[in-house]
Amino acid sequence: MSDPRPAKQPWNKSSKLASFKGLRGFSDAVLVFGSLLLAAAVFSLLLSVLWSVISAGSGAMSAEFLYQNNRYISTTTSLDYGGVGHAILGTLELVLLATAVALPLGLAIAVYLTQSQSKLRNLVRAITQALAGLPSVVSGLFVLSIISFLDAQKSGIFGAVALFPLMLPTVARVAEEALRLVPQDLRLAALGLGAPNYRAFFQVILPAAKTGIITALLLGLARVVGETAPLILTIQANEGTNLNPLEGGVATLPTYIYGFISAGYASSITRAWGASLVLLIIVGILFVSARLLTGDKKKKKSKGSK
Amino acid sequence: MMTITPVAAELQAQDVSVWFGERQVLKDVNLTFRANRVTALIGPSGCGKSTFIRTLNRMHELIPSAGLAGAILLDGKDIYDPSVNPVDVRMEIGMVFQKPNPFPTMSIQNNVLSGLKLSGLHSDNKEELLETSLKRASMWNEVKDRLDEPATSLSGGQQQRLCIARSLAMNPKVLLMDEPCSALDPGSTRRIEATIEELSESMTIVIVTHNMQQAQRVSHETAFFLADDNVPGGVVEFGSTEQVFGQPIDPRTNDYVNGHFG
Amino acid sequence: MSRGDRLFFGITSSAAYFAFILVGLILVFLIAQAWPAIQEQGFAFVYGDKWEVTEEKTILQIGPMLYGSILIALLGVLIATPMAIATAYMIVFILKGGWAKLATNLIDLLAALPSVIIGLWGVLVFTPIAQGWAEFLHQYLGWIPLFATDKGTTSLNSSPFIAGWIVAVMIVPIITSVTREIFSQFDRELVNGALALGATRWTVFRRVILPTTSGGITGGVLLGLGRAIGETVAIYYVLQLSMNINLFQILEPRGGAIASWILSRFGEATDKEFHGLMAAGLVIFITTLIINLIANVIVNKAQPWRK
Repeated sequence: MSDPRPAKQPWNKSSKLASFKGLRGFSDAVLVFGSLLLAAAVFSLLLSVLWSVISAGSGAMSAEFLYQNNRYISTTTSLDYGGVGHAILGTLELVLLATAVALPLGLAIAVYLTQSQSKLRNLVRAITQALAGLPSVVSGLFVLSIISFLDAQKSGIFGAVALFPLMLPTVARVAEEALRLVPQDLRLAALGLGAPNYRAFFQVILPAAKTGIITALLLGLARVVGETAPLILTIQANEGTNLNPLEGGVATLPTYIYGFISAGYASSITRAWGASLVLLIIVGILFVSARLLTGDKKKKKSKGSK
Repeated sequence: MMTITPVAAELQAQDVSVWFGERQVLKDVNLTFRANRVTALIGPSGCGKSTFIRTLNRMHELIPSAGLAGAILLDGKDIYDPSVNPVDVRMEIGMVFQKPNPFPTMSIQNNVLSGLKLSGLHSDNKEELLETSLKRASMWNEVKDRLDEPATSLSGGQQQRLCIARSLAMNPKVLLMDEPCSALDPGSTRRIEATIEELSESMTIVIVTHNMQQAQRVSHETAFFLADDNVPGGVVEFGSTEQVFGQPIDPRTNDYVNGHFG
Repeated sequence: MSRGDRLFFGITSSAAYFAFILVGLILVFLIAQAWPAIQEQGFAFVYGDKWEVTEEKTILQIGPMLYGSILIALLGVLIATPMAIATAYMIVFILKGGWAKLATNLIDLLAALPSVIIGLWGVLVFTPIAQGWAEFLHQYLGWIPLFATDKGTTSLNSSPFIAGWIVAVMIVPIITSVTREIFSQFDRELVNGALALGATRWTVFRRVILPTTSGGITGGVLLGLGRAIGETVAIYYVLQLSMNINLFQILEPRGGAIASWILSRFGEATDKEFHGLMAAGLVIFITTLIINLIANVIVNKAQPWRK
């Protein structure tokens, strides 16, 4: 990489340049290899996490692990019994409940940010962005204070409420980007035909942004499906299956993992890895389908522009 | 059996001035678009002609900060009257844009009928409306066997005529066209010009164009717009196309139509 | 405007205003629940270093936890920022097409990993490795106070050093994606042109790229900082929480993290303690809200096309 010429004659201008050239080649090499090295460090950390979860988690994996619940299972019970079936159902339940509110609301915020002409738009965008940085534990404490205020019992619905503020900004941001990609022409064409804004939105803009909206949904789901702290604070654990969000404890994958790490026995740790693998697969599916959707859209767009 | 009974209307702009924020872009425009006539709006870029055509069906108010003074009379009735819904105005005064913009998620057929759905109207005979509109846009024969294909499968010129058909399905009294051919090849341009000529029998047409030859080919009347650095846009000359191009009164018009600037 | 449109814009703007209401509600509820503790403990709540809950008296102070959060967040940012800038540089200026896309997706996947999984990996897989690094640092650089330890400390785990690394893993994607977007506004052809004219990659990076993007990168770093201060579960597993404040001995198995403290205490919290934990949550909320608002202003300024 470095220049082999040894010339070092300070009185000669051109040779001075030549010696700098060696230095330049060197600093370039440091920059390129340094950045590759540091990036490699990041990817090794990622791969280490993925590999650990996959290799240790597969030790717990079996059909039973996926559908059985944990009733009558202690921290030291053999891995032949018990599983995360109840936690998968619980996670899906809470996440879907949160989605039921966060998706329409996030979409409505995105519509406001793209279709309205209000002067408050930048302020709304700023506050939505700030919400995106809301620490998950704070969301949990917020709901915990609501529970305490209402003098209510912890239950699944509160877990869903605690996930909602975390999901909302993701949905709103991705949906806004999706709506922004729809050419302004189409909206004008619809309005030019005498459409009121809401029909222009539902019949022209929304269908054109469909994949982007689904991406918003998927990324919103991926954002909260693994959230732990808010759930620890707002729901009670349950070893069995409970699909009633209004009463009783409910198991979720993150709180299941949390519980079994804390227990500390070898078999319970394996259960935690197993549940982590299940969670990782769910996150992976959401993430990959979101990416495939966006990729498709870009392809279609470039085709259409020909 | 025609369900459409086209009625052209007279459109009149009275002392129209437009602002974007603090900046005035049009000043005191007075023009009359006579029924069944084609009027071309010409002028160099930035002279306000595109802004002006958008005031004619209240599209310009979709731009935040846009302000307007004056009146636009459709058969004597001000479309900016507070009692008038802009949505109704846009149904009576259709618009075709510079770039073909069919709705990509809809089929050819649904594009033509989209105006009905979008404005919440019902038609007893959609098939007939579909056929009539496409025939008036002179593209029925090209697409009658592929009505369910997506609109994006059409060529650029076909897409633009589909957009015209889409406007025609609303049976407008006036059709506004904002440089409808600027994104098209000469063959498609010619076909659209022929369509304009046929359409003028049943409606009033206002067309913005950069193309002098086009203005001379399609229009009966021509209005020449001009703006300067600190002077908002306005009409310099308005008259029959023959006169504006043949014996312009204003020297600036003469310079422009003879290609000395712009 | 038609009735349908009034309804349409009414609903969407209500949703938009709900974002304000939500932030307001969080503040109001946290303040209401935190108030008894704030009143009783006074300002010492923020800087004091005693957390005693007995029959006679309750002293609730989170000084070491707050300080620890900041220390760990700074460590995390210090570790993550070079890695993030390097990764972004690689994606934008070194890798081509498909590889750049793959690297971007992997980084985004890292961002999507749940913190409980990072925590599990952190305590079982990463800690033994990082402990080795810590021993190495202590052995050769132990004379620097930063890498010194107390007498009698034997195993260098559960330290702010390790927590800093764990936090770094979680914020690398945030800083990377902001930096990458800002880097990518550089015309590649322009950079290649400069290279063809004889400029070196290093001079282009040092003199052209870095100066014009440093503002935006700072915004990304602040976003990471906000995330780091709020991080709860992952730190909870890899750090020994202690009210005995650890100012700078980052290898010492003792530290603080305010969010993790909440998690560790709330299970058996008394009523009074409960309000104290709410007050701790309020501190996190306000801190991160301010950091995020500033960060977003900076990032938005650096990415004007986002508006």
